[in-house]
Amino acid sequence: MKKLFSLEKIKALSYPAFKTLMIIHFLLFFLVILVVSRVHFSVPGFSIKGLYQFPNIWGFFPWVASWFNIFLTIVLITLVGNEFSYRTFRQNVIDGLSRNDLVHSKLILIFTIAIYTFLMVLIAVIAFGLIYSNEFSFDLMIDKSYLILIYFIQAIGYMTLGLFFALIFRNTALSIILFLVYFPVEGIIRLFFKAEARRYFPLKIISNLTPRPEVLTMASEKEYTTASGTSSLDFSEMGLLPENLPLGITVILAAGYIGFFIGMAYLLMNKRSL
Amino acid sequence: MEKVLQINNLSKNYGSLQAVRNVSFTVNKGEVYGILGPNGSGKTTTLAVVLGILNANGGSYQWFNEPFTKMARRRIGSLIETPNFYPYLSLWENLKIVAKIKDAPEDDINNALGIANLLKRKHTNFGHLSLGMKQRMSMAAVLIGNPEVLVLDEPTNGLDPEGFAEVRNIIQSQANEGKTIILASHILDEVEKVCSHVAILKSGELIANGRVGELLSAEETVIINSDKKEELLKMLKESKLAKDIYPVEQDLAVVLNSEYNVSDLNKLCVENGFILTKILVKKQSLEDQFLQLVK
Repeated sequence: MKKLFSLEKIKALSYPAFKTLMIIHFLLFFLVILVVSRVHFSVPGFSIKGLYQFPNIWGFFPWVASWFNIFLTIVLITLVGNEFSYRTFRQNVIDGLSRNDLVHSKLILIFTIAIYTFLMVLIAVIAFGLIYSNEFSFDLMIDKSYLILIYFIQAIGYMTLGLFFALIFRNTALSIILFLVYFPVEGIIRLFFKAEARRYFPLKIISNLTPRPEVLTMASEKEYTTASGTSSLDFSEMGLLPENLPLGITVILAAGYIGFFIGMAYLLMNKRSL
Repeated sequence: MEKVLQINNLSKNYGSLQAVRNVSFTVNKGEVYGILGPNGSGKTTTLAVVLGILNANGGSYQWFNEPFTKMARRRIGSLIETPNFYPYLSLWENLKIVAKIKDAPEDDINNALGIANLLKRKHTNFGHLSLGMKQRMSMAAVLIGNPEVLVLDEPTNGLDPEGFAEVRNIIQSQANEGKTIILASHILDEVEKVCSHVAILKSGELIANGRVGELLSAEETVIINSDKKEELLKMLKESKLAKDIYPVEQDLAVVLNSEYNVSDLNKLCVENGFILTKILVKKQSLEDQFLQLVK
C-alpha cells in the first residue's frame, strides 16, 4: 500500500499537467466562492450571506465544489490514459507489479485526490462559516456537516466512473470526450424512462449526492424564516425545489455504483492484454 | 539442471491470426537462450505472454518451476520491444519507480546508470533522450535489483555501432556472471556470438531448438556453380544426395544429407556431365541455418 502510494506520488507530482490542473482547480473553487460572496440581491428578503452561514454552508460549498469534481475526474483520466499511451502499465507489470496492483494504485490516487478536495472544502467551510455566521453554537456549526462526507463519496464516485472510462478506452482524449459526452447522453436516455426510474441512473445518483441547495430557502433573510430555520415561504409548493430520492438511499446506491465501477476496473485490467 | 522457464504448448491469437502456435521449450539456469525468427514470427508475443502482459489462448508456462508470481517477476529483468518510461520524469526518477517496484535499494540506480553509460544524464528527462540512449536506459532498468534472469527483446534496436558493442558487452558480462539470459533478436551474428542455445520460430511455430553448436554441425553446405545451372539444379533435386538446395546470389547452396560429403557431390556432378565452375565447402553459420529453416 505504502509502496503503491509512493509510486503514484512520483508519477503524479512530477507531472507538470497534474500540478497545473490541481492549482487551477484550487483557484477556480476559491474564485467562485469569493465572487458569489460579493453578489448582492436587490430582492427584499434575500441575501447571499445566508448561503455562507452555518449550517447552510455545509450544503452550499460541497455543491459548488461538486462542479469541479468533473475537473478532478479529467485529471484522473489523464493520469490513467498516460499509463496506456506511454505503455508504462505494461512496464510496471514487467518490473513486478501485478495487474491488481495497477488498479490498487489508481484507487489510492482517487482516494488521495478525494481527501485533498474534501480538506479543501472543509477548510473553506470553516473559514467562510466563521466569517459570515452570526451565531456560533456548536450544534448549529456541525448541523448538516455530514454533507461534506457525502461530497467526499461523490468525488470518489465521479473518479471511479472516470477510471472505468479510462480503462475501457485506454486513450486520454477519447476517454475525456466520452466521459463528458456521457452527461448529456445519460440525460437523453433518462427521458425514455418513467420519472421513477430516471432517478436511479448512475450519473443522476452521483450528482444528486450534492443536490442543488435550496438556495431560495437558504438565502431567505431571518424575518422570512421560522424559528426552526426553515423558510416560511413554501418553495416546494411553488415547484421550485428538486424532487430526488432521500439522501440516505442515494448514498447507498452511489456506493453500489462505486463498487460496480471498481469491480469493472479489476475485470478490465485482468481480462485484457496490456 | 534447474529449470528457469518452461513453456508448454503456448498459443496466442490476435483475432483470427494465430501469432503463436503450440510453442514448447525449456530454458535452464545459466543458459544464454536465443529466440530467432523473422518479423512476425511470434518472438515478442511469446515473451510478452510469459511475462504476463499478454494473456495466452492456450498452453501454460512456469517460471522457476512454479506459476508466475509477483516474487518470480522480481527475479527477472525484462526489456520488451520499445523502452517504456515516463517521458516527463528524469532517468533517476524513472529508475526509482523500477527500484521501488522491485524492492531494490536506491544504490542500484546509480550502479545501473553507470553500467549503461548514462550516469551523466541521470537528471535528464527520459523524453529528451535519443533512441539509442532510451535503449540503454532500458538496459539500466533491466539490471535494477540484480535479477537472476534477463529477458531481452531486440536489445540492440536503434543503437549505433558503439552502443551495439556496449550492450553486447553488458549481455556477455551478465552471462559470465552465470545469469540466465533469454535474448530475442533478428541479428543472427549477435545471437551466434552470445547464445549457448537457440529456438527458431517461424509463423508462430517452433521449427528448431537446441544448442547452437548442435544446430550448426548437423549438415554440410556446399556452394557450387556451373554453366548449366538450371539442369544442375534439376539433377540435384532428383538425387538422394541433397537434403536442400537454395540459391545464394549467383550460386547454389547444397545442403548434403549427413551420409554424403563433398566428394560424393563432385562425383555425382561429373557422372552426369556437369563441370562445376565453383565448389566451396562452407562452414555453416547460424544465418545459413536460419535462412534454410525459415525459407
